[in-house]
Amino acid sequence: MTVMTSPEGTVAGPDLERLWKTRRDRDRFQWSSLALMTPAFGLLIILFLIPMGYAVYLGLTNLTLVGPDSVKWGFTGLQNLSRLRQDSTFWTSLWVTGGFIGGSIVGVLVAGYWLASLLMRARPWMRIVVGGVVVVSWMMPAVTAGMTWYASTTQGGALGTLIGMRNTNFLDSWPLVIVTLANIWSMTGFSMLVIGAALRNIPSEAIEAAMVENASAWQRFRSIVLPLLRPTMIAVVLLTALLSLANFGLIYIMTQGGPGNATNILPLYSYQQAFSFNNLAYGALIGNVMVLLATVFGVLYVRVAAPRS
Amino acid sequence: MRLLRGAKAPRVIAATALATVAMTAGISATVSTASASSKVTISVAYAADTTFDTIPLGTKWWGAVKKEFQQKYPNVTLKLIPVPGGEPDFLTKLALLFKQSNPPDVVQFPSTEIALYQSSGYLLSLDKYLSGSGKTWFSQYPTVIQNEGKIGGKIYAVSAGENNNGIYYDKAILQKAGIPLPWQPKTWADIITAAKAIKKAEPKVIPLWVDAGTSAGPNGAGYGILNLLAGSATPTIQTASGKMVVSSKGLLQTLDFYHTVFADGLGAPTSQLFSENNAPNIPSTDFAKGTLGIAVAANFIGGNWTKMVSFPYWPKASTAMGVAGLPKINGGGYASTLSGWDFGISSKTKDAEAAFNLINVMQESKNMIDAANWAGWVPPVKSYWSIPTYANFAAPFNEEFGKLLASSSELPTSANYSVWVQAIEQASGAIAQSPSTSGAAAMSQMKSYVTNQLGPSAVTTLP
Repeated sequence: MTVMTSPEGTVAGPDLERLWKTRRDRDRFQWSSLALMTPAFGLLIILFLIPMGYAVYLGLTNLTLVGPDSVKWGFTGLQNLSRLRQDSTFWTSLWVTGGFIGGSIVGVLVAGYWLASLLMRARPWMRIVVGGVVVVSWMMPAVTAGMTWYASTTQGGALGTLIGMRNTNFLDSWPLVIVTLANIWSMTGFSMLVIGAALRNIPSEAIEAAMVENASAWQRFRSIVLPLLRPTMIAVVLLTALLSLANFGLIYIMTQGGPGNATNILPLYSYQQAFSFNNLAYGALIGNVMVLLATVFGVLYVRVAAPRS
Repeated sequence: MRLLRGAKAPRVIAATALATVAMTAGISATVSTASASSKVTISVAYAADTTFDTIPLGTKWWGAVKKEFQQKYPNVTLKLIPVPGGEPDFLTKLALLFKQSNPPDVVQFPSTEIALYQSSGYLLSLDKYLSGSGKTWFSQYPTVIQNEGKIGGKIYAVSAGENNNGIYYDKAILQKAGIPLPWQPKTWADIITAAKAIKKAEPKVIPLWVDAGTSAGPNGAGYGILNLLAGSATPTIQTASGKMVVSSKGLLQTLDFYHTVFADGLGAPTSQLFSENNAPNIPSTDFAKGTLGIAVAANFIGGNWTKMVSFPYWPKASTAMGVAGLPKINGGGYASTLSGWDFGISSKTKDAEAAFNLINVMQESKNMIDAANWAGWVPPVKSYWSIPTYANFAAPFNEEFGKLLASSSELPTSANYSVWVQAIEQASGAIAQSPSTSGAAAMSQMKSYVTNQLGPSAVTTLP
């Protein structure tokens, strides 16, 4: 076993530096563990690496849904990538996706924190009722949520009636804003639950001590609440980003990506290319871009959420 | 035909993998004929939710066909394969069915898909059967409909029914606007003049319905803007060499017409035009409520008002509504698109004879007319347009649209058309949403989109 100490410790000697740089988990590795990990590796290869590799390959072919290239298709090199680079609709779609995800993250965080902190102070019965209603919106299928928001935000809908603008068609006037709000609405329940649980775990002594020191509400939030909520917030951000990136149903129901390309997020553009325009290979390539984006979010999460020494 | 639209998750990779695995079985065009004595099973795939005006009517029609076919051919069992979902979903699922090693023997699909399926090697040439047992009904088709399924001199699909378009108008509203009846506009300018008169006399009424935007899928354009393009100076969508037209005098005239309609506040609101809920059928409810003056719309609107379809049931429609042909831009006749649903036989069918016998049964007089009435089609056999069972089902609309069929023209059937039609719908939608968008700006946007999607070599400009 490697000696456990620190550079600042009292153990002295010529091997101190070498000992410190030595991996402390090395002795824990045993060759027999490879055999035990084989089933997990196998599943990883069969269920993830092979399908992913095949999807990457499909993205570099000319496969179509119907037509001559649906029967005789093959590898076309970087042709689809070159097309993707010059595809202005793809870049528009990427920006729209960014706006949709960014708006959703901010909205879900703010609304989730706001509701959770309000419910902390609410009477128990109110906590149950409001919490229940918000959670129902989270549990609602994308089709139902989409239809609800579609009906509410088009001309003569509930939103216009409530604010005295019955003849305004909010959905077609501000499509990206409305679909983002719908997404925020459907995901706030999850955010509220997670942030609420984290808020309840903040030690009241820390807050009381800050109050004794005359810290303002903003100071208490910035210096105590926010740092303690940081891991939870990061988890919410990551999951909101990933779930929003895959939220095809909501927008498909509400706008089908329109008007024009105003709400054409990447999953919709991928679907449109694969099934409306028959370009299965190009649709798969756009799907691969989404996988890359999801990977970036994952890596960011791992780096940001890693415990600091 | 009613458009029902469904939502499916974008399982692009999964579907692609499924399709590709299914495809590994390969394509063989071997067609054999089972012996008359052995019991064989043939199958027919069709859209369960989109073809007929209501789902129960579709179930009833297909059930009756199955019963009659099996009575007539006791050695053959007919397996029905209803494919659920809106039209885009149906087309996707049908394509995946044909990638299997054992695709359906017979298929009912939109005419715009024929060339794609034929070029995939999925369809059997029907010439042999059409000059034999199918001659009785096929010879009565007008030439334009006979040619619907003709590719390279061979016929691969036959029409089950057609959709064409014209003008519907509310007689009472036009009368209040001082427009003499019966109304038949001679030019597009006449339509605009009438719409302006309606706006002045009845400010709460939508003066003119012309479909716009992408919400109804490719068919939305077929029931709307493409009819105007068909009556413009340059109606060409795809040249003989296969290039898609992205700039022409006709396109500009058509988009300028849209600009006039929406800039002058004559069009329907975007909440209706962009509705995900069956936009091409909205005129039938608006007319019944008395909130719409004129509509460029499809033949099936008349059938919507019958008790059997009830979308909505409006018994006074036959006297309250008038029908007119959609004039060409400067007169000289009418214009309309023609799009239909067709029957084809799989090139992999195990019993082509039995498969064609099924088509013969479906094309019998009663079945063809029932399908036309219940699906909102004009039957392809010309003599049926005036017989009472068809003409009286939705009088006077059915017969009037039968007469207009002669001035209708087919839509292209190619993979590139789906991109082009998306672009023209985006262009019309842009004008409807921002009426300050000029026709030239919308055409430029369309040109940019199609060129971006298909590449410069696949598009062309016409004078």
